[in-house]
Amino acid sequence: MKKCDYFKDLILTDYIDGEVDKNLGQSVESHLLDCSDCRAFFKEVKDNTAIFPVPCSANVLRQQVPAVLWDTIKQSIEHKNQAAGPLADFIAHLKGLAFFPRMVPVLASLIVMLLAGSVAFNTIQIQQTRDKDQGEYLVSLLGPTGSLARVDNNGLGTSLEHYFL
Amino acid sequence: MEDIAKETLIRASQGDMQAFEDVYKASSSFVYNVALRVVNNREDALEVAQEVFMIIHDKLKSFRFESSFKTWVYRITANYAINFAKKFSRSKTVPYEDALGEGAIVNEAQTRMDQEHQSQLIENLLAELNCDQRACVVLRNIQGLSYQEIAQALNININTVRSRLKRSREK
Repeated sequence: MKKCDYFKDLILTDYIDGEVDKNLGQSVESHLLDCSDCRAFFKEVKDNTAIFPVPCSANVLRQQVPAVLWDTIKQSIEHKNQAAGPLADFIAHLKGLAFFPRMVPVLASLIVMLLAGSVAFNTIQIQQTRDKDQGEYLVSLLGPTGSLARVDNNGLGTSLEHYFL
Repeated sequence: MEDIAKETLIRASQGDMQAFEDVYKASSSFVYNVALRVVNNREDALEVAQEVFMIIHDKLKSFRFESSFKTWVYRITANYAINFAKKFSRSKTVPYEDALGEGAIVNEAQTRMDQEHQSQLIENLLAELNCDQRACVVLRNIQGLSYQEIAQALNININTVRSRLKRSREK
């Protein structure tokens, strides 16, 4: 029964509209050979005049376009052009020359720039902290006094120098 | 809908009225008939078709040829007609004589009766459907669009197209 429901759905849509591929079409046809209920359903769908023949005989259903339509459209366009005038044309021309980026790419670029800026700022800060630490370490090597002035004056700034000299 | 050369579309977008008339000639039958069947009223269909062509005229400058022009027109027409029908739900039956238009040539009485019968049948059928279902049926059965084209035109999933057609046909 479930299988029949599946095939009935297919018959009512894809199969009757010619949207099934060759394999699916063949499986519908072989099911129709085996199942009398679905065969009756298919016949009903085909014969039922309440369902559009697919595709419909277009000439019957497609109506002639009234000639007045083009006249109205043409008048509306001409009226619009006249109302706009040369100033509007000039502004439109300027707009065409100018670059108006779309919002999404602009926002995306801004976010990327902000991210890049914050990464660069953090890197500089880390580098500065590292330099400071290295400086402090070098100063600590100068000896317990830690005075650079003494090094300048006597040339014996470190405990190492004291040891050898 | 007939194919339109890219050059014609470019010229039309630059304000060439002759080129725009060519665009109109190639697409007016589609636009008018979809509008007529969705709104189910001749005056409203004319209004919708006029508005659709004004939109096409105004937006043609920004058409980038990334999608097909046909799909673009399908989309504008179907959406505008559906919105119009939802907004002004005053669908009346189109008198057959009116619906035939000026250029219809029907010579044989039998053909005329058959056509009248079929046309009446379809009008009655469409009147029973909601706007979304009607648009799907019109695009499929009258305009012969594929499921994929209908899905693109209405910006819906292809399975939604299937289910709308199924429900319409079950009625």
